[in-house]
Amino acid sequence: MAIKQWAQGRSLWLMHFCTGCGAVELPPTMTSRFDMERFGIAPMATPRQADVLLVTGYLTVKTLKRVIRSYEQMIDPKYVIGFGSCTVNGGMYYDSYNVINHLDLYIPVDVYVAGCMPRPEAIIDAFLKLRQMIVNGEADGWKKYRENLEWYRKNQRKILDVDKWGLL
Amino acid sequence: MILESIGKRFGDKVKVKERRDGKFDIYVNPDMVLPLISFLKTSKFDHLTFITCVDWIKEKEFELVYNLFSYEIRKEVFVKVRVSREKPEVESIVPVYEIAETYEREIHEMFGVYFAGNDNLTPIFLEDWKGPPPMRKDFNALEYSNEKYEVKNG
Repeated sequence: MAIKQWAQGRSLWLMHFCTGCGAVELPPTMTSRFDMERFGIAPMATPRQADVLLVTGYLTVKTLKRVIRSYEQMIDPKYVIGFGSCTVNGGMYYDSYNVINHLDLYIPVDVYVAGCMPRPEAIIDAFLKLRQMIVNGEADGWKKYRENLEWYRKNQRKILDVDKWGLL
Repeated sequence: MILESIGKRFGDKVKVKERRDGKFDIYVNPDMVLPLISFLKTSKFDHLTFITCVDWIKEKEFELVYNLFSYEIRKEVFVKVRVSREKPEVESIVPVYEIAETYEREIHEMFGVYFAGNDNLTPIFLEDWKGPPPMRKDFNALEYSNEKYEVKNG
């Protein structure tokens, strides 16, 4: 079991889903200057092949729908990193009519990165923290999502017509 | 030049004013929008840049601004129409400029102005939206956001 977690923590494939302005910090993180691949973190095209959903910035209701669908397509174990202050409490969009305030009401978040925007160092730091949590068995957001699905659905239903999608 | 031809054609139903920057404001009543816009299109204003809407809440009116441009004579005109806030309705200009459909959909969604004759006024940006039109001045965005997207203290 420990070997499995050790391996999982060292091979985090990142889903390519850029939701807000935070995505501009990812190219320097990926490329030679900060080079996240030395930690085994690599971008991946489809949700079914990815381990980590990185929500980079603010989420409008329209994007939240796509995020939830992508998150549910990912295969367990799966992890979510909330990126930037927008995912924590709405950030500068706290009074927008179409931007959500708290990401963890709709999908479980394992690690938050504060800042507007976080630097590549902070992103890599968050990934290392996530790796530590995986090795210790603490990153169990995906289990919580299964166990408390009704609670998450209730929050999602408040702003989206989730029942029409035919999921789960 | 356009001043004279508009004056000749529409008389005192429209009011043309030259702005300081050399562009023209044309004020018109809601029932004359379509004739005026189609007249402008035939007199070289072949490009509709955008349509926008201003909420004059104290005067209880919406002002629709049609921004037209002519590539040939390099002039820009703004056609301005006032409609009441209680029953905002104006004739669609889709028969003249097809591109207006998108702008009218947006204004319908954001301000609740109804465009008679545009049969595709479906939601364009907002998804599963159940509140009032959000760009109106009397829409309290902070209150709506706090109620719908919840505020966690601490």
